[in-house]
Amino acid sequence: MAAVLEDLPAVPDRMARARALHWGLAGLLVLACIASLETGATGVSLSGVATRLVQGVELTRTERVVLYDIRLPRLAMGLLVGAALAVSGAVMQGLFRNPLADPGLVGVGAGAGLGAILAIVLGAALPGWLLGLTGNQLTPFAAFLGGWASTLLLYRVSTRQGRTSVATMLLAGIALGALAGAVSGILVYVADDRQLRDLTFWGLGSLAGASWIKVLAAGPLILLALGAAFALGRGLNGLALGEATAAHIGIDVQRMKSVAILAVAAATGAAVAVSGGIGFIGIVVPHLLRLASGPDHRTLLPNAALLGATLLILADVIARVAIAPAELPIGIVTAILGAPVFLWILLKRRGLVAP
Amino acid sequence: MSLVAEEIRVAYGRREAVRGVGLVALAGHVTAIVGPNGSGKSTFLGALTGSLPFRGTVILNGRDIATLKPWQQAAERAVLPQATHLAFPFTVIEVVRLGLQSGIAGARSDVPMRALARVGLAHHAGRSFQDLSGGEAQRVMLARVLAQVWEPVAEGRPRWLLLDEPVSSLDIAHQVQVMEIARSFARAGGGVVAVMHDLNLTALHADRILVLCEGRRLAFGAPSEVLTSDILSRAYGCNLGVSVPPPPGVPYVLPHAASL
Ligand SMILES: Nc1ncnc2c1ncn2[C@@H]1O[C@H](COP(=O)(O)OP(=O)(O)OP(=O)(O)O)[C@@H](O)[C@H]1O
Ligand SMILES: [Mg+2]
Repeated sequence: MAAVLEDLPAVPDRMARARALHWGLAGLLVLACIASLETGATGVSLSGVATRLVQGVELTRTERVVLYDIRLPRLAMGLLVGAALAVSGAVMQGLFRNPLADPGLVGVGAGAGLGAILAIVLGAALPGWLLGLTGNQLTPFAAFLGGWASTLLLYRVSTRQGRTSVATMLLAGIALGALAGAVSGILVYVADDRQLRDLTFWGLGSLAGASWIKVLAAGPLILLALGAAFALGRGLNGLALGEATAAHIGIDVQRMKSVAILAVAAATGAAVAVSGGIGFIGIVVPHLLRLASGPDHRTLLPNAALLGATLLILADVIARVAIAPAELPIGIVTAILGAPVFLWILLKRRGLVAP
Repeated sequence: MSLVAEEIRVAYGRREAVRGVGLVALAGHVTAIVGPNGSGKSTFLGALTGSLPFRGTVILNGRDIATLKPWQQAAERAVLPQATHLAFPFTVIEVVRLGLQSGIAGARSDVPMRALARVGLAHHAGRSFQDLSGGEAQRVMLARVLAQVWEPVAEGRPRWLLLDEPVSSLDIAHQVQVMEIARSFARAGGGVVAVMHDLNLTALHADRILVLCEGRRLAFGAPSEVLTSDILSRAYGCNLGVSVPPPPGVPYVLPHAASL
């Protein structure tokens, strides 16, 4: 048998390619981080700051504020949100067994948004002790609950005996989105002026409001979700063959699905809570990675975190320089770049949407 | 060691598709399940693999599967479903490796390639699974199943292949090849339970045959006992003749054309 095997043409090792890609993406991410720290409305430049830090010269007050209180938290939030969006997209696609599933497209983002809006508008009415208990975690946590409820509902509606109907999933997503939008609309009427400002700003999808407080609010939830998601690689690979076969090869399917749904909800919820609706990262990033190094979730998920963070940070740079000194909402940038890619995916793989 | 099912009942909603079926399949045997479309073969197999909720008991190598974790079951039996749909563009060899995920044979990295060679598809290892023809895809799935329980006997315990129509879309040469794979797995001490439609192929390769009809067990026994004109005509509801040409002992089933 061995002799027979040696005569075979070499099989491309996509696992090795994915690992190489891992380092490439990590390098790219570092470059994106530098670009992000370098860019901004004030004339503070990274190289100048670095030189002075090396020489041991004190930074000016402006430099400190710009760097530590504006650009660094913005970068940290971009890292977290980009990774969260891309990974929750990849997990959702694995869970629904379809490359078109994306939290933003199928209403999970809307559900999370509704949770966040509820927290912003009604949070003030909560008893003081509860507010003190939840602190600034209230909005991300409410968004997580909203995302979780909508993911669960979506899965119930569109999956029967381990098979997901794409048509049902997308239509249910539209219904969920409409419902969340309507309830949010009602809430806007009862909101006071300050809350309204919060809502408008938040709804545009932006990293501009970044602060260490927000990073600390969303960070733990996102990191937890990423950790859980990275453990799902094997299970999601098995699920690609259907729920029954996944169980046959030894995967605890029910538990895996619950973890996946929680991870998607936590990552999407926390990301939406701090940055509003930023679309297309979750669908474009996993798709590009599958083209480059195959669909194996064990490498896809970590690579999605890297590429998602990189792309979101770069989109944020574009948002800041495109119409400087004004700033575009980042959701507009990701939509302009992402929507055509999404259409291209549809065009190339029209069969995917067939039920 | 054996695979024993007692009084299995499976219902879809209020309709019972399997109504109290029992089976004793022995390691070392190829046990075939035959019966008309909709008679509950796949459903019964679904109970044996624990993938459908059922009433009754299934004892795999002496242990009730209700007490086993998915990975414990996966270590002792592999399952070929009647149809699979792969969600993402994995290559052929990647699909076969999915069978190793339970971690039993995980370290043996040449097993997937050898399993592919076993079904005659090693040269397709790098192709996209989604591009394969129906029969090729079915053989790749068989390779995945073989890779999962590569050794027919491990630590003194037989392993099991549960196959739902393993040859249904194969050409005649590959039908024979796949049945011989199943047989040699059984001869080496493993157990095979296979749902079959081709009665003559079944007669050649099965040691025991279970005939299901409308969710009930109509007959169980050696091919020469079960493949009789009477039993088959009752099971399938049409007139079937059985003769025994050489080699002796292997019945041959022929439909009687009603209109000639
Ligand atoms: N998911 C389901 N929901 C409802 N009824 C089902 C389901 N699956 C199977 N059935 C019904 O249960 C009965 C047995 O089905 P099963 O798939 O076990 O038949 P089978 O013997 O494997 O048939 P075939 O030879 O066509 O594969 C059939 O009447 C079928 O319609
Ligand atoms: Mg069947």
